Amino acid sequence: MSVDPITVALLRNRIASVMQQMDYHFFRSGYSTIVRESRDFSCIVVDAEGRLLAAPWMFFHGPVYFHLVQRILALYGAENLREGDVFVTNHPYEGNMPHASDMGFVAPVVHDGRLVAFAATIAHKADVGGTVPGSTYGQATELYHEGMLLPPVRIHDAGEPDEDMMRLIAANTRAPYVVLGDISGQIGVTRIGREHVHAMCARYGTDTVVEAMEAMIDLSTEEFRAALASIPDGVGEAEGFLDHDGVDDTRPVRIHVRVRVSEGTLEFDFAGCDPQTKGPANLRIAMVEGCVWYCLIGLLDPTLRYGDGARRLVSFRFAERSVLSAEPPAPCSSYMKTCQKLVDVILEALDPLLPGRSIAHSGGSGGSIVVARPGGNRPGRGNQYEIFGSAYGAGEGADGASGVTVHLANLYAAPVEIVESEFPCRIRRFELNPDSGGAGEFRGGLNFRRVYEMLEPAQVVYRSDRAAVPPAGLRGGKPGGPSRFVLHPGTDREEVMPSSCRLSLDAGTAFSVQGAGGGGYGDPSERSPDRIVRDLEEGYVTPEGARRDYGVDPDAAGS
Amino acid sequence: MNEYRLGVDVGGTHTDLVLVDGSGGVRVEKVPSTPGNPSIAVLEGIGRLVDSGIAPGDIGFFGHGTTVTTNALLEMKGARAGLLINEGFRAIQEVQTGARETNQFDLKFRRAAPLVPQSRTEEIGGRIDYRGREIEPLDEDAVERAARELSRKGVEAFAVCFLFSFMNPAHERRAGEIVRRAVPDSHVSLSSEVLPRIREWPRLSACLIDAYLGPVLARYVGDLDVGLDARGIGTPRRFLMQSNGGVMPLSAAHGRGRTVHTLLSGPAAGVRACGHVLGERQGRPRLIAMDMGGTSCDIAFIEDGVPLEVTEGTVGERKLDVPALDIATISAGGGTVARVNAANLLTVGPDSAGAEPGPVCYGLGGDRPTVTDADLVSGFLNPEFLLGGATALDAEAAGRAIETRIARPMGLSTREAASGIVRLINARMADEIRVQAARKVVDLAAASLVAFGGAGPVHAAMVAEELGIRRVLVPPRPGAFSALGLLCSDVVHDYIRSEIVELGALSPERAESLFRALEERAERELSEEGLGGSERQFVRELDLRYAGQGYEIRTPLHGLDWRPVAEKGLAQVEERFHALHLRLHGHSAPDSTVEAVSFRLRVRMPMPRPELVENGVAAASEAGPGTARSVTFDGRTRLEAPVHCRADIGEDPTMGPLIVEQVDATTVVPPGWSAHGDGFGNIVLDAR
Repeated sequence: MSVDPITVALLRNRIASVMQQMDYHFFRSGYSTIVRESRDFSCIVVDAEGRLLAAPWMFFHGPVYFHLVQRILALYGAENLREGDVFVTNHPYEGNMPHASDMGFVAPVVHDGRLVAFAATIAHKADVGGTVPGSTYGQATELYHEGMLLPPVRIHDAGEPDEDMMRLIAANTRAPYVVLGDISGQIGVTRIGREHVHAMCARYGTDTVVEAMEAMIDLSTEEFRAALASIPDGVGEAEGFLDHDGVDDTRPVRIHVRVRVSEGTLEFDFAGCDPQTKGPANLRIAMVEGCVWYCLIGLLDPTLRYGDGARRLVSFRFAERSVLSAEPPAPCSSYMKTCQKLVDVILEALDPLLPGRSIAHSGGSGGSIVVARPGGNRPGRGNQYEIFGSAYGAGEGADGASGVTVHLANLYAAPVEIVESEFPCRIRRFELNPDSGGAGEFRGGLNFRRVYEMLEPAQVVYRSDRAAVPPAGLRGGKPGGPSRFVLHPGTDREEVMPSSCRLSLDAGTAFSVQGAGGGGYGDPSERSPDRIVRDLEEGYVTPEGARRDYGVDPDAAGS
Repeated sequence: MNEYRLGVDVGGTHTDLVLVDGSGGVRVEKVPSTPGNPSIAVLEGIGRLVDSGIAPGDIGFFGHGTTVTTNALLEMKGARAGLLINEGFRAIQEVQTGARETNQFDLKFRRAAPLVPQSRTEEIGGRIDYRGREIEPLDEDAVERAARELSRKGVEAFAVCFLFSFMNPAHERRAGEIVRRAVPDSHVSLSSEVLPRIREWPRLSACLIDAYLGPVLARYVGDLDVGLDARGIGTPRRFLMQSNGGVMPLSAAHGRGRTVHTLLSGPAAGVRACGHVLGERQGRPRLIAMDMGGTSCDIAFIEDGVPLEVTEGTVGERKLDVPALDIATISAGGGTVARVNAANLLTVGPDSAGAEPGPVCYGLGGDRPTVTDADLVSGFLNPEFLLGGATALDAEAAGRAIETRIARPMGLSTREAASGIVRLINARMADEIRVQAARKVVDLAAASLVAFGGAGPVHAAMVAEELGIRRVLVPPRPGAFSALGLLCSDVVHDYIRSEIVELGALSPERAESLFRALEERAERELSEEGLGGSERQFVRELDLRYAGQGYEIRTPLHGLDWRPVAEKGLAQVEERFHALHLRLHGHSAPDSTVEAVSFRLRVRMPMPRPELVENGVAAASEAGPGTARSVTFDGRTRLEAPVHCRADIGEDPTMGPLIVEQVDATTVVPPGWSAHGDGFGNIVLDAR
């Protein structure tokens, strides 16, 4: 290896900065609500085998790129990839995409006739067809209900756009205007990524860049080896349950993990999970990998930089056709709730091996809501699509944070003023729910509630979890408050709906949406009186809650 | 006489004073800062000038840069504030953006403590809709009850933020009146005055910051005014630097939501100095300012003398979307720490050894090698002096630290390790400049890099080399350059008003009336500030987007038919927007609907600029012809670099390697670069 270690360090930083720049470009030019206010996208540069040199901002997309590029290489052959080619896919099984709503674009970088790297991006689409507006159908029973399916195919051929492909995509979405706008933005950022890799090759030499990339992979192995060495040998095990798969609401779905640590290598055995579900709660391996690496980085050292060399140290075991290793045509559009539950379960399983590091179960993905209506304030707009945060579980020394997207999700809430300006609804309330943080020596975070009033007839589709099985506490902490979805809240027609549903609402109908609170950590009786008093003052805990959960007389506590 | 102009820039460790006399002569004074009450150092510095024979009555202009509000925010030492918000909407402050801006792997994530806790937040009935129509009247009794209740809890500053107040501020204004009546002498910040812009969280955040810091700034300005009067500085021409690179009268600094415009002003003065001195005055069209100090490096771009700006930002973890010079700050300074990680990879930063203990070579107890230590081991710095010989540097200790902590674990020589640190920090700055340049579509090859701050001139040519930039400029006094910026800034006030409207549906009359309303407010405030009737320019701008996009592009209207607004102007601005979008994002959509989201007005009152005469820079050492140091740029090859005094750099280019020393900075000229002096006192480094 002739490349010097300083050049490796320098190019690794440079690649991360190129990814940052791609993110910025795409974010600023995003069209659809989901991209522009929520930033549900990622951009990346990976090596010629699809291996990650640095992690994308939306971390759980990372492993997707590896599997996606591997698939493209298998389909087309490295020797047939040309500069200016762009491949597109939204296929959960062919491309390991999280769900059909996410569309990935991959562009090979061929410098002086040599395949050096790929520039790529994944972004959520406002609508890719399928049974319901917004495409993410919580009651889907087949992949085909979730929208059009594009296996990895060329959409640019050596720089020439394939207009037929564009028309094909436009014909399969309810929002062609926003989808085509997003696609043009995505293809634009792959070009920016490519240009930077070419510039690096020109400056340092192609051999040096390729060698440096190989060295970056080895580096990530060594960095993770050092971090993993701090976990003592042993076995951890935990399980958790999804409310249901969205279709069969009589059966919770079991997520189970057994972790075996042996001399710095880890084996994650998921064989105890339920079989793949009829409803869309299923994952493929890239999602599972994303959850595992996320947890390990969070537990060991949040400043660790992921690279695909880490793959050499961790192995996975699955049962065939399980909820974490699904096969077609199992639907998967509600993948995030399963990912979030999986994270909770992995953290819990590792708690005995790394005391004080784990946290209680979080509120999960607060869920998403799609409001579609005939007409609307302005023509040509996509549907209103919002993703909600929930709350963090508590950990040693730390109450959970309230009203925030947690773990793998890091998304922006749509502002009330934007929602009301662009869609025919009014938001009546936007407030935290007292007592929704699980009690404990350290309290879980509080969830929040938004109450919508439809100003026009609308179809509402939402997906969530944790109404039936609330987030569990850790080490004696109590569970967080469950999620809750209510029609006509506060009236005598009030009706509690399941955590995943599709409704047709008349103008004037009010609908309340709230995510789950975070689980508590440690015995509530150990909570310091100062913290209880402060929670009472700030309204995070009600006087009744203080009595019930902490055995405290609020009048005495306040004085 | 009023012949002197005085600029005073308060930094973390030093307070710099720059005095320019009527004939353009420049004097510099440096005193230690007094963080407890920064005005003490300001007055101490002025005292020194007076002691040296400057008549205070002859000072006719006082320009001031301070981080007093920034520090109060970062240290949570603001006023006890309360908040009035719509009934049912307490979660706006809790949820904020809903995202985590800090490390996303942090399992124990927590937000910065709220500036106003829920226990000092009161809900008020009343609602305005998205078109600005009242759909529920303001509950005035609730406002009064809330004001009294909060006052009972010791609240001295009130933030009032209601939904859609940017469309219709009536409820906020009425609430403000009731609060002022119920709690006389309280400070009141209305979100519709502070930042009348769509998106409730950024507007609330700005409003909370304004309320929290308003009283802090008022007290500081009060102390300073009294102190200046007492020192006999009678001029009413006293100005404060703002984040937007303009100044405002000291008397206007509190009230009307102006406080929030001071928070990002710290690095603004240096960028203004670059813009004026090197851009406007010396006629250089494209500049990149690189201000590298002890802990960080500030990077900004300047086109035709005008620094580029942003309208969204953060201070610490607080959202603050007010116009500010677009300055990217990265952790790359002399004190930035280098280490080897568990995989034997060299990393530099983000932490800094700061001023104390500082780099190992300072001998103040620091044991972690820093960029300055690497600069010293590489031969760039003179071990005999720093800051004019005030401190000798311990090169041996620096070498030992690099050897044991970096070189040995990596299997490198000490010099290779030192070079590695220098290369890595240079690449970090280059990466950031590259990202920023691409974001703003600046052609690096056509730009010059301006290096200032203590460490800037050491690294600038090497950073330029990495970027393909062919010219570096080092101004005469890199260490006091920022204070100079205070003397070449105009009074600039920014106004905004959001209203989402399709450009095709916007009538010239409506647009004109929105701009007129902003201009009337500007006129009113200027005359209240004693600046009425003076020469001033109004600059109209629109924030535009394609329908459905979530962020806008600030689109200038100069040169178009927009004053008064004409049909033709509407068509012209649409074209300009398509072109800007294409330039910034690589594509445009001329068939798509364009929407106006906000109307902006900037009022600028030109201030007379000092004429500068370069009258030589104090020599730092006795280095003269024949002095040389052994330097290395790659850790392997040793080169003999002649060492020159700044004063010895003439108009004829000298080839690198070369070191130029002066009292407040060292300039490194690598091989392949030449150095010469220009008629403005700059050192010009050119790639050959």
